[in-house]
Amino acid sequence: MKNHLKSLRAAHGWSQADLATRLGVSRQTVNALEVGKYDPSLPLAFAIARLFGQPIEAIFEPNLSAVPLAVEQLQQRTQEEDVGAKDAAGTHRLAKVRVHQPAR
Amino acid sequence: MKTRIDEPTQSYLREFGAAMIAYIVVLFLSIWAITTHVRSSWRYPVALLPMIPAAFALVAIVRHLGRLDELQRRIQFEALAFAFGGTALVTFGYGFVENVGFPHLSWFWVWPLMALLWALGLVLANRRYRA
Repeated sequence: MKNHLKSLRAAHGWSQADLATRLGVSRQTVNALEVGKYDPSLPLAFAIARLFGQPIEAIFEPNLSAVPLAVEQLQQRTQEEDVGAKDAAGTHRLAKVRVHQPAR
Repeated sequence: MKTRIDEPTQSYLREFGAAMIAYIVVLFLSIWAITTHVRSSWRYPVALLPMIPAAFALVAIVRHLGRLDELQRRIQFEALAFAFGGTALVTFGYGFVENVGFPHLSWFWVWPLMALLWALGLVLANRRYRA
């Protein structure tokens, strides 16, 4: 997945080999991570986050549409949108109907 | 001077290299012993002697796999799976054509086939994770 590893590494002035040594992995792995061809395991992701002092989500950008959302969460969100969606006039969004008044 | 071969690989090459040298030496010795001296049923264990350094070579390989990081292990898995399946297809395919006339081959052909497919598998697997 997309990530900010390359820029974070450059900000510290480290080569790929340097970063690999600090993370305890091979240079090949660092390269594969940077070009997005390999996603780290959870322990490695935490090691990266800890090394750069940022949360995992700040470093890695998953394609969220590809990430499954729990069914209950989806149902909940849909209900909240229906119930909560009222416009400024206090009219329920779903019930609003536009009527065209022809000119007389 | 920074070397391009990393530490784990260096250890592996040392261990594996030593085992291979021992293998070649023991192999020549066992062949010499069988052809010139040993005629009795002792020739079976003597013929098998090269398998002892071969076992050390295997230990070196297994230890190396244990030193690899997560991506390298995944690559090895993909390569070994490829070699496993490929060997199955080739050896069985050859078995079928042996039945209809192809020359009968020694078991010595199996390992080189596996090793070749493992090497090819590594080339293919490594490519998947490059830029």
